[in-house]
Amino acid sequence: MTHASEGLQAPPLGLYLHTPWCVRKCPYCDFNSHTAPTTIPENDYLSALIEDLDADRDELDGRPLQSLFIGGGTPSLMSASFYERFLDALSRRVDLSQLDEITLEANPGTVEEARFRDFRRVGINRLSLGVQSFDPGHLTRLGRIHDDSDARRGVTTAMDAGFDRINLDLMHGLPGQTPEQAVSDLETALAFNTGHVSWYQLTIEPNTAFYSDPPPLPDDDTLASIQEQGEAVLYGAGLQRYEISAWGRPGEECRHNLNYWRFGDYLALGAGAHGKVTRSGSGRVRRYWKTRQPGDYINRIGSRTAGRSELEAQDLVLEFMLNALRLSEGVPASFFQARTGLPLSRIEDQLRQLRAHGLLADTPDQLVATERGRCYLNEVLEAFVP
Amino acid sequence: MSDLSHIRNFSIIAHIDHGKSTLADRFIQVCEGLTDREMAEQVLDSMDLERERGITIKAQSVTLKYRAKDGNVYELNFIDTPGHVDFSYEVSRSLKACEGALLVVDAGQGVEAQSVANCYTAMDQGLEVIPILNKIDLPQADPEKVMSEIEDVIGIDASGAVPCSAKNGTGVEDVLEALIHRIPPPQGEVDEALQALIIDSWFDNYQGVVSLVRVMHGSVRKGEKVLVKSTGKSHVVDKVGYFNPKPTTIPELKAGEVGFIVSGIKDIKGAPVGDTITHANTPDVAQLEGFQKVKPQVYAGIFPVSSDDYNAFRDALEKLTLNDASLFFEPESSDALGFGFRCGFLGMLHMEIIQERVEREYGIDLITTAPTVVYEVVMVDGSVEYIENPSRLPDPAEIEEIREPICEANILVPQEFLGNVIALCEERRGSQTSMNFLATQVQVVYELPMSEVVLDFFDRLKSATRGYASLDYQFQRFQAANLARLDILINGDRVDSLAIVVHREQAHSKGRALAEKMKELIPRQMFDIAIQAAIGNHVVARQTVKALRKNVTAKCYGGDVSRKKKLLQKQKEGKKRMKQVGNVEVPQEAFLAVLRVNDD
Repeated sequence: MTHASEGLQAPPLGLYLHTPWCVRKCPYCDFNSHTAPTTIPENDYLSALIEDLDADRDELDGRPLQSLFIGGGTPSLMSASFYERFLDALSRRVDLSQLDEITLEANPGTVEEARFRDFRRVGINRLSLGVQSFDPGHLTRLGRIHDDSDARRGVTTAMDAGFDRINLDLMHGLPGQTPEQAVSDLETALAFNTGHVSWYQLTIEPNTAFYSDPPPLPDDDTLASIQEQGEAVLYGAGLQRYEISAWGRPGEECRHNLNYWRFGDYLALGAGAHGKVTRSGSGRVRRYWKTRQPGDYINRIGSRTAGRSELEAQDLVLEFMLNALRLSEGVPASFFQARTGLPLSRIEDQLRQLRAHGLLADTPDQLVATERGRCYLNEVLEAFVP
Repeated sequence: MSDLSHIRNFSIIAHIDHGKSTLADRFIQVCEGLTDREMAEQVLDSMDLERERGITIKAQSVTLKYRAKDGNVYELNFIDTPGHVDFSYEVSRSLKACEGALLVVDAGQGVEAQSVANCYTAMDQGLEVIPILNKIDLPQADPEKVMSEIEDVIGIDASGAVPCSAKNGTGVEDVLEALIHRIPPPQGEVDEALQALIIDSWFDNYQGVVSLVRVMHGSVRKGEKVLVKSTGKSHVVDKVGYFNPKPTTIPELKAGEVGFIVSGIKDIKGAPVGDTITHANTPDVAQLEGFQKVKPQVYAGIFPVSSDDYNAFRDALEKLTLNDASLFFEPESSDALGFGFRCGFLGMLHMEIIQERVEREYGIDLITTAPTVVYEVVMVDGSVEYIENPSRLPDPAEIEEIREPICEANILVPQEFLGNVIALCEERRGSQTSMNFLATQVQVVYELPMSEVVLDFFDRLKSATRGYASLDYQFQRFQAANLARLDILINGDRVDSLAIVVHREQAHSKGRALAEKMKELIPRQMFDIAIQAAIGNHVVARQTVKALRKNVTAKCYGGDVSRKKKLLQKQKEGKKRMKQVGNVEVPQEAFLAVLRVNDD
């Protein structure tokens, strides 16, 4: 099936770099992570990344990069020199004149923290710390290798290292967690005044240790109380909720993630990374993904790009909406056509109904869910499932 | 009369797990109908559903060649019969094609009620009944006792009962020898005009209608023009043959034989079960006495989940009634469920099987409403109405009296479980009419409201007796009772398809149980849902399904959206199995909540 692609415009471009190694796999994690060998083959991985980047030159289409996000795995297990060399190679191939955000995911822990200052020095300007909780019991349940004092020290170290943009990742709805404990975690995090918190509920995903051996999670009503009380604390600290789980001081929003939610483009680099690019030539939007095994990626067993697919119109609609409606302010209605190449009239029936039910705001120029709509976002999105 | 002395047509009457299928398989093996390699277990139960449930639903036949000890080769036509209480009607159909029947009884467990009923049917039709004592290899086998029980309960001479073990093969040839010596050969005249009885018909996508027939007189060949008596339509025969058990084409089917005819009939109503087939040039051949039409005992509304499937659903029901005359259906429309059919069934198993067959074979998702019996309603003006849909019960002010169907239930049970059976019957408002202590069991007869029997009585009886009790029941009469319609309201709206008829003294407890069960079955949604049970304007129970606090995926990494999409697709799939009532999504199971109020 082909579709009209009138008005399709290439949106801003980010780059997602995946480093696949962890000291050990957490029981809730369903990301592409692998237990690190005694020595991480940084040089081999770097060469592979650069080769892969060159192979994907076409996807880039000469566009400037707006943001870089380094996720994992545990990116802070890699040395600062690895990133220095990567950024250097990147700058020779890609227009970085507009790149103003380079985020690195890091874990609290003495080995990693020793590198924070160097990370900052090589140009990484935003740190996302996987704190998850400040409660020692919950950290153990989550299988984290850091304890609560590591967590506190990690934040301080990051600040001392010169990072003025720091996100703290916190989970709630943890096994046996009470609303008081969740609030206490938040208060501890907010006391550091880092300006950004990702506060998301633990969900049990397939292919995780928790999935095969589920921990006792709080019931629905407790979860709702945690949510309610937690939100009050976050608002009280002057943070704005700009996405379902993302809270920041105005101006502190993660630009890279915002680009996802606004259905922007992003390149994929590294084992198991996913990318999305708008092909202005063919008028199509393409998703592609990299081979997951680090060894295969390094040794290029098969293609590093494990698969790609051109999105059909119906997928474009759903993917656009499931991203855009997560944002508190939504997106301008004009984005729909600009970023899917489809006329807005395609979804007018759904929009009318959802607006009539008070799930979408009655604003013709902005696609945005009401507070109630964001609360039941999965019900809202069902309207766009083909 | 032609010499048909080499033919034997027989059925097997047996309780579900008394070993009929195993015995039939042994026959096939002894007669080399199948090689060992081809011998799948229980080949005769050919519908997937039958094999899964381990029961026989439809009549099937198999033709075997048996070389007897007297040196002659006999043609044995075995017409299979269903063994479940719901399908006794099918049994009498199969028996019409036979001259004899094997009554297979578990030598350890004794006679069971359904076999008694079927045995009477066989004897009424003049069939020779040979008792077979199966499972004699088991340590608990007690052939003497079981023989005396056969004589006590059924009243036939059991001294010639043949002991065997279908499982290990002992005595199987003795059974075959008894069969050829004691069951008479069919009577018929090959040279007379064709007269064949349609035992069963089914629709085959490639061949059109296939009919299983018993040829009474004459013969039929490929290429001949045949006439279906009741329709008056002629068709050219494409092929004739028998099942061995694979369909095998032969040149000719003759008087006394059982086999199939395919004659390019495309209209599923073109070859009704019980009809007579003759040649087009002998239209005056007498029509054979067909089968007695049975009345459904249980009615339920069945609706396609998607209204687009209405026509396909009607076609499916038409195809199923072709060889299941006991299935009744007529259009029904419901405010809550849209357009569907009010269907009548022999019992709950029949209902479940029809629903499963439509869903499985025709790919249509269905919603079934609470099953009900037929009530006889005497109006103030003296007229009488029969109501098989609770929502159609007239205004109480116009009703003089509501009468419920009463049945006589014949139960056979080992003495140790007698107490449980009596307790169950009393709980179901039964009154005992007789009790008879037999060699290994007790025969107890109760009068029970049909509504208490058709829903889950059989299952409860089985679990109260570790599976040993057996049951047969028959409609007796309508009897006045203090009945009322119990309505279910969802968010204040009466939902017609959820109404049931209850005894007034049970209204409160039933209403409470039903509202509680509904609360369990209706998933939490974006708003509170009030569930009320009411008699008229009097609310007898109330439950609330609290609103979902939220439904949103916490974390969404923009990178890989495939998992999230799958989650949404699954969510949407789930809703397909639900029906929108007002703005509430009600899952299929909730419409059958009344059947589950006794679950724990």
